[in-house]
Amino acid sequence: MSIVEILGASLMLVGAALSFLAVLGVVDFPTSLARMHAATKSASLGLGLLALGAGLAAGSPGLIGIGALVAVFLFMTAPISGHMLGRSVYAAGQVTGLVHDDLAAGPGDSLRIAPGGRPGVSIRRLVLLAVVWVLLWRDSSPGVWLAGFGIASVVESIRRFSGLPARVTFRGLASFLSHYVWTVLVSNIRVAREVVTPNNDQIREAIVAVPLRTDSIAAALLIANAISYAPGSLTIELTQDPLVLYVHVLHFESVAAVRRDVARLEERVVAAVAGQAVPMR
Amino acid sequence: MDTVITLVQILLATAGLLALFRAVRGPNLVDRIVALDLVVLLLAGGIAAHGARTGSQLYAPVLVVVALVAFAGTVLVARFIEWRDVP
Repeated sequence: MSIVEILGASLMLVGAALSFLAVLGVVDFPTSLARMHAATKSASLGLGLLALGAGLAAGSPGLIGIGALVAVFLFMTAPISGHMLGRSVYAAGQVTGLVHDDLAAGPGDSLRIAPGGRPGVSIRRLVLLAVVWVLLWRDSSPGVWLAGFGIASVVESIRRFSGLPARVTFRGLASFLSHYVWTVLVSNIRVAREVVTPNNDQIREAIVAVPLRTDSIAAALLIANAISYAPGSLTIELTQDPLVLYVHVLHFESVAAVRRDVARLEERVVAAVAGQAVPMR
Repeated sequence: MDTVITLVQILLATAGLLALFRAVRGPNLVDRIVALDLVVLLLAGGIAAHGARTGSQLYAPVLVVVALVAFAGTVLVARFIEWRDVP
């Protein structure tokens, strides 16, 4: 067995173990929202690693590309599923036993991203779409690239959505991504520990409103995503005018503690995609 | 390698059965959706493991489609639950 095969096999094992962990959390945790925490945090990393590991183990670059694509996709979508389901279970009035609930007062309007703005062709988006096309075809011959750029151009010219204004700095993005990976690992270890130790009584659930200091929607979306991967927290709602994030936490200590954690994350995110210092309020 | 893949598939299958247990037990609709969403993702994991065993790329697009459909389905049902009681 080559080193790559061994790496692939171990990634697959870790991925399968994490998927198993997610299911154990879903079976074991006492409330609907706690179960959602386990599913959101462990399932995306689990399947992502499984798909990547399978590509490495089979020694096929095409499968590795598909695995990476699926992993990125899962990390974008799992927090959205968690948020939508969390919001609907709250709206259905099936969340009880909260220690603290800022959502009870009724949130403002949910964030809506209106189509519009100045349309125009973005080279970055064209390249991104073409890369996705090539990964899906598992073939990087010139013809496939050409078709990818052709279809990307068609998509670019008929789209109604003009993107969110963001000023991405690569240094900030690298710092944020390394922090993101670390957070995902820590929260998976935390879920594992909670599944193994039978002290579910220590769960003190709460929903905390956290006003964001930034006014960048791109930053707010990224914060909402990353919060769902942080240990013991899940985004439930995001409102606009002003931007307020409603976070569900498993181990509530104080409102100030939750807000402090989000503020730290916000600084990183703003440095990564809003390209400015956080305006103090 | 085959031993590892068999182990992975046994883990995934056991996890799937446990998730189905939660899907049957509920107690509410959202619990069932979360559990079934996991079952679909485990299925995708099984497909990936199969791809690693056979080295065949035939199933790779299925992996992408399954992940997409799982997400779309979950969001759709969440919307349905939220708007169910709104006239």
